[in-house]
Amino acid sequence: MDRLRKSFIASGTALALTLSLGAQAAPLEVAVDSSPSGLDPHIVTAFSSFQIIDGTIYEGLTALDADLAIVPGLASAWEISEDKTTYTFTLREGVAFHGGGTMTSADVAASLNRVLDEDTGSPLASRLAAVEAIETPDDSTVVIRLKAPSAPLLSSLTTIAIVPAKYAEDTETLQRAPDGTGAFRFVEWQPNVAIRLEANDSYWQDGLPKLEGVNFNIVPEAATRQVGLTSGQYHMLPNTDAVTALQLQSQPNVKLQDTLELAYSLTGLNVTRPPLDNPKVREALNYAINRDDLVQAALFGAGVPGGPLSPALTGFALPTEELACFSSDPEKAKALLAEAGVETPIELELLVLPRDDTKAMAQVIQQQLAAIGVNLTLDIPEIGQFVQDWRNSEFDMFVSLNSGTIEPDDYFYRTFRTGGSTNVFKYSNPALDALLDAGREETDVDGRREIYAQVQSALACDGPALFLAYGQLYTAMRTSVEGYEIYPNRSLGSLKSVTLDN
Amino acid sequence: MMFLKRLRGRLIDLAFVIVGVSVLVFAFIRMIPGDAVAIMLGANAEVTPERIAAVRTRLGLDLPIHEQYVVWVSDVLRGDFGVSIWTGKPVIDEIAAHVWPTLQLTLLALATAVILAIPLGILMARLRGRRGEAFVQAGSVVGLTIPPFWLGIIMILTLSAIAPGVQMLGYVPFSQDPLGNIARLILPAFALSLPIMANLARLLRSTLLEAMQQDYIRTARAKGVPARRVLYRHALRNALIPFVTSVGIMAGYLLGGAIVIEQVFAIPGLGRLILGAIAERNYPLIQATILLVTCSFVFVNFAVDVVYAIIDPRISE
Repeated sequence: MDRLRKSFIASGTALALTLSLGAQAAPLEVAVDSSPSGLDPHIVTAFSSFQIIDGTIYEGLTALDADLAIVPGLASAWEISEDKTTYTFTLREGVAFHGGGTMTSADVAASLNRVLDEDTGSPLASRLAAVEAIETPDDSTVVIRLKAPSAPLLSSLTTIAIVPAKYAEDTETLQRAPDGTGAFRFVEWQPNVAIRLEANDSYWQDGLPKLEGVNFNIVPEAATRQVGLTSGQYHMLPNTDAVTALQLQSQPNVKLQDTLELAYSLTGLNVTRPPLDNPKVREALNYAINRDDLVQAALFGAGVPGGPLSPALTGFALPTEELACFSSDPEKAKALLAEAGVETPIELELLVLPRDDTKAMAQVIQQQLAAIGVNLTLDIPEIGQFVQDWRNSEFDMFVSLNSGTIEPDDYFYRTFRTGGSTNVFKYSNPALDALLDAGREETDVDGRREIYAQVQSALACDGPALFLAYGQLYTAMRTSVEGYEIYPNRSLGSLKSVTLDN
Repeated sequence: MMFLKRLRGRLIDLAFVIVGVSVLVFAFIRMIPGDAVAIMLGANAEVTPERIAAVRTRLGLDLPIHEQYVVWVSDVLRGDFGVSIWTGKPVIDEIAAHVWPTLQLTLLALATAVILAIPLGILMARLRGRRGEAFVQAGSVVGLTIPPFWLGIIMILTLSAIAPGVQMLGYVPFSQDPLGNIARLILPAFALSLPIMANLARLLRSTLLEAMQQDYIRTARAKGVPARRVLYRHALRNALIPFVTSVGIMAGYLLGGAIVIEQVFAIPGLGRLILGAIAERNYPLIQATILLVTCSFVFVNFAVDVVYAIIDPRISE
């Protein structure tokens, strides 16, 4: 027994001896929950990839600030023709790629064409659908000619990274070794361990970045991430959920920043599978859900019940009070099912995105729908399986999270237009399609507002998705981290202004 | 002669086990739904079927499964384990980069288990029929049944509450910072060693008690040898034979526990490598890593057999 005690004392001493209170110089140690699925800015879709590369390694012609306003990026200025179909961009001087070489209009044209090229298979291609021609009159000028006016263009360009022209045909190298113009240069990727970036000494913005580098540590275990932050081993847990944030709130040396998400949680319905093909049934499901309870139970109150657009898009989003079916009414739901001639109980399967918040939502929805005689079996696969089933529309219903941007077109066109690239619901509504096409070409602000109000009303009650909620997004960091700004779209672009005060 | 014959038989068994495992691993990981290409290209419906087909061809996934197996085995026999689908680096390099933390962690856990199990086992044997026996027995059952990963989480949460500044996650190479290396491994190694320690202590207790019933012990006592000496010199010696065998078997199981513990303590070892490789369906990497782990497991068991034969005179006759 004595020996036991001694060895414990010995190990305790060893621990105490190595008690280091984070007295090393930068880099900033960031802990993220999952490995990115590649780093090619024109190919990846997952948040896990986006947060590592957007605004840190890569930049677009235009950029967003933390208030989601469009500001100059790699283009220092632009002019728009009278008829709104010609955009002339003046490029910044002296912008270098990490891998060497100065950025010219040829690289910009090659990047845009790479996104448009079918062989790239870029999910961003639809954002450039209006482009007719890309011209490069000289090294520092790019002219984009459109088939028709395209209101979302400047917003879309914030998401399209400029890469060296030599990668035009190469869809593999950048997935593993990114090469951009941003404040941080890629150093190495140790799969499932860490991705290391170092400061780009020749960054075009004077005095930036202020950090020596950024290490993204891949730490799948939530408790481990939290302990790592409280012990000072990690400096930041970006884009985390309310549960984690609330647990860290009381810790000394930890501070939080939060904002309302652009991404929304939804329950998607496969409209090719009865009885979900019946609009009345879809409306009934909307009435059966109590979104306030859902936000309380699954998001710990850190979020708002939401319609088709994030309330953060103040210019466009309709208040949910204006959407009739957003008030919970189980009796009306049952009446609608009866009206539709559907026999209850209905047995359906619910495919669940394997995240803590979506799992919690799935359970709440299961309970709420059981009250009107819709019995759900939950299927919670691992992520690879989820992606495959989702992509192939192998589901009755699913619960997931869809990303958003500052542009309503990005919320709707890909996802709800007939044949849209992420229209996994197999939904087709010609009236909605016409509205979505008109929304792209309308450049007058009031006109667009009117069109997207109609779109939201069309989707809200008998569309293929039950819009659930917009969560509060948090970043937890050590008090020694200064200058960080949380972005509603989960970009970590503000890392270039961050300092670490040791 | 007998000994050599047995050895040869064991070696043939070994070869069969390894071949069998290689077939099973190959088949099982391809049975996981969702393939490498789908995961690589992401949740993105704009990828053309042609492009998916092209990537499959490049990775050799378009061949029938038995042909894929033949290709893989013939490459492996030439010492070529292929390249990681994601990074394009040779699989061998990936494994080499991850093998040290795991090796260190498991050896440290094994050493901890053995060093603590011997005094605990003796203590339990000596407490037999006395007050306190129930307490120690209960403790050993708790040790046996606590899942190491849960204990690991409790440990880091507790320690971070008591000593918020202590950095206990991750891994630092011994050559770079010996103290930091040990300090970071102590907790996970302890969590990992607990069930094995309890197991070994219980085993030692029962073999010791059994040995104490033997004739030679009675003889020694009758000759007036002091009780302590009887215990340590005579009984313990014989009781350690099954103990050593068990240590060997346990060493294999440590690898399984290490996979989970590495997740909790963010240690960049083989466990993280295997889990990550499975998540991204990185076939060459999964195959090579699991084959390596299996071979070490089988080899350790084989070595135990040999050692056992050497230390137990009844076998090596």
